[in-house]
Amino acid sequence: MTRRRLALVGAVLLVAACVERLTAPGQCPDFCPSGRITIVDTLLTSSINRDSSFRGYVLAYESPLMLAAHVPGATDTLESRPIFRVNGVGGRFLLSATDTGAIRGADSARLQLYIVRRDTATRNLRLQLYRLPIQIDTGTTFGSVAGPFTDSLVRTVNIDTLLTRPGMKDAVTGDSVVVDTTNHRLALSLKLDTAAARYVVTDSGTVAYGVRIAGDNFASVALGKGTTGPVLQWYLRVDSLGTTVARQPSILGAPFASFVFAPPPAPLDSMLAVGGVPSAHSLLRVAFPKVVRDSSQIIRATLFLVPAVAARGAPADSFVIEARTVFADFGGKSPIDPRLGDTTIIHPGSTDTVKIEVTNLLQLWAADSTHPTTLVLRPQAEAQFLGEIRFYPSVAAAFRPMLQVTFVRRFPFGVP
Amino acid sequence: MRRADRWTGGRAVGTAVVALALLTASRPVRLSGQDSQFGIRGLGTPGRWESVRSRSTGGAFGPFDPLSPLTDAPLADIGQLTATAAGGTSNRNATVGGTTTALRATRFPVMGVAGPVGPRVAVAAGFTTYLDKSWDVTLRDSLLLRGTVQRYTDEVVSDGSVADVRFAVAGRLSRRIAIGAGVHVLAGSTRETAERRFDDSTFHTVQQSADVRYDGLGVSGSVLLGLAPGLSMVAWARSDNRLRAKVADTTTAVTDLPRMAGGGLLFAPSPSARFAASAAWRSWSKAGAGAFDTWTWSAGAEFGSRRMPIRLGARGGQFPFGPGTKPPTEAAASVGTGRAFAQGRALIDLGLERLERRGGGLTERVWTVLVGITVRP
Repeated sequence: MTRRRLALVGAVLLVAACVERLTAPGQCPDFCPSGRITIVDTLLTSSINRDSSFRGYVLAYESPLMLAAHVPGATDTLESRPIFRVNGVGGRFLLSATDTGAIRGADSARLQLYIVRRDTATRNLRLQLYRLPIQIDTGTTFGSVAGPFTDSLVRTVNIDTLLTRPGMKDAVTGDSVVVDTTNHRLALSLKLDTAAARYVVTDSGTVAYGVRIAGDNFASVALGKGTTGPVLQWYLRVDSLGTTVARQPSILGAPFASFVFAPPPAPLDSMLAVGGVPSAHSLLRVAFPKVVRDSSQIIRATLFLVPAVAARGAPADSFVIEARTVFADFGGKSPIDPRLGDTTIIHPGSTDTVKIEVTNLLQLWAADSTHPTTLVLRPQAEAQFLGEIRFYPSVAAAFRPMLQVTFVRRFPFGVP
Repeated sequence: MRRADRWTGGRAVGTAVVALALLTASRPVRLSGQDSQFGIRGLGTPGRWESVRSRSTGGAFGPFDPLSPLTDAPLADIGQLTATAAGGTSNRNATVGGTTTALRATRFPVMGVAGPVGPRVAVAAGFTTYLDKSWDVTLRDSLLLRGTVQRYTDEVVSDGSVADVRFAVAGRLSRRIAIGAGVHVLAGSTRETAERRFDDSTFHTVQQSADVRYDGLGVSGSVLLGLAPGLSMVAWARSDNRLRAKVADTTTAVTDLPRMAGGGLLFAPSPSARFAASAAWRSWSKAGAGAFDTWTWSAGAEFGSRRMPIRLGARGGQFPFGPGTKPPTEAAASVGTGRAFAQGRALIDLGLERLERRGGGLTERVWTVLVGITVRP
């Protein structure tokens, strides 16, 4: 009997005590706490000072991409041309463990290029391959290879046409293209005949090529480099005891790959430049108000930047710029804090005020008073877009950079 | 020790362990009492300093109950070492502006131990809820921010309570007179959180929190008079100084606490029938705006043997915190019973209370299930 009663009591308790529900809709002010969350929104019009720009962080040959562009403008044409060099296998070819043979030339070669970014709206996209002097290097300029880009055309391929062919192969030229939908890129394979792929033994078989592109209106693509091409497969003729035999060495990559372009970016002035090639950064030093730093929490902070001129670049190549903070303020060589960053997209041709949400960064400054209150504006993908934007600096009183900060005052805890 | 004694002692402990296990079967919660939305704007919800037995009689037996921390003098008759604990689950419907919200909470409002230290002197220690400060309020509103109306949801949460830790001593001066006194250390804390979540996620969620610690001190005294065989009277008074709230060692508020006084009458015409009535006054208006002095009364009865009695009672009065110029009113009815095990060494008390509070457009209706265990090893 006693056990049954205890079990009954236990059951009642378990049913009654298994859930705690305290939440109630507030009926203010009578049945709400006296304290309220107080939000302040302020526009800091003069807190950004001593801003400046620096260029040269990532050069064209350091970029992971080779940019090709043909963008006619009102006054000039933006032209960018990838250039690369493939070293040869030398004057002799290893036929066996104990025997080598002189390389007499090449029957053909197959060059593979990866188009890792393109504007699918571009029609009639054409790619032209030029033979360049093998002396091209990091000092090569647009003007220094203007001649070969005029008279050394070795192949033209219409990529749009090639994409429409059965199997995406041109039976006549031997060219083909593969669409890699996983990595969103095109693998373009060009067959070079003996004339196009001259194996010059005195040059150890080293060759250099340049690429120009064109479209119906404008064209802009990015070619991969390093692990994403370009690569060259030689089909050689080798002397073996007086007999010419065909040999196929291993695929060769391009130890040097870069791009040249014109016109070059305008020299830096008092404006705040971000982007371009070589890439430019801008530093903005912020006088972080104590009232904001001591606030309980910053819930939104927006950086306003007014473009001085329309953003430069191919119309389809919108690029992303990011705002970051620095570990220490050493001007142009300030080490950038990689932990937090806020971004916005820049559309070439636009002069609209650019807004970057920098809430994360200001929250970091509020939490760590030793952190330098300096903002760095830089392109997210450095030297991977030709686009560049220039903003008015703090000395331009009417259009200077501004911060709008929304923060919360400390809640009056412990007050009845 | 005879075998029967060993058996009954073991059974008492076993019963207590089972009861304790049942009481703690729910998730662990704060040691606090029944809360009320009336207390959100004020200091909190004052606790009920009564054992389950007393509360089942509407609180009328509280001033005479040595296990209720309301008065100290009845401790003189405790007789043997006794420990008690109580738990309660409240299901509350709060109706305001035509909207009813169902709320639920489980609390352990009373724990204590008492026992004689001499032929005429007994001491007690324990704690009870002085102020419950657990609540959770959500609010939907909007504000104009950056030129746009931004809608948001606020949630302000307080989780914790202020406990009354009592050290009491009582002595019987004669067959008719017993006196008692107590020192009350008020201590507790709340974890308070304020959160605002904007519909527009561009604005980060506001989340602030703080641990608020409370302290205070009080003294109490009481006298128990035997007026005639079966007729007793008790009078008591208590004064608490102030409640200090501190956040990170910074005092954020100092609130005066009330003085209180009360009395009661107990009439036991036979061993199987006991009647009691009591009243109390508390000067809560010292706590500031929105607080009121209160009067409370209660009347109750207990029938049957002490082994398994039937209890019932009613109480009424005022609640100290609320909007407007008049204090909210409250009225309650309760019933209960108990069961003694192991020759009275273990007792389980059960109670059921129906409470209604009204004021400022808010009506609260509460069902509370109470369970108490008492062990006399």
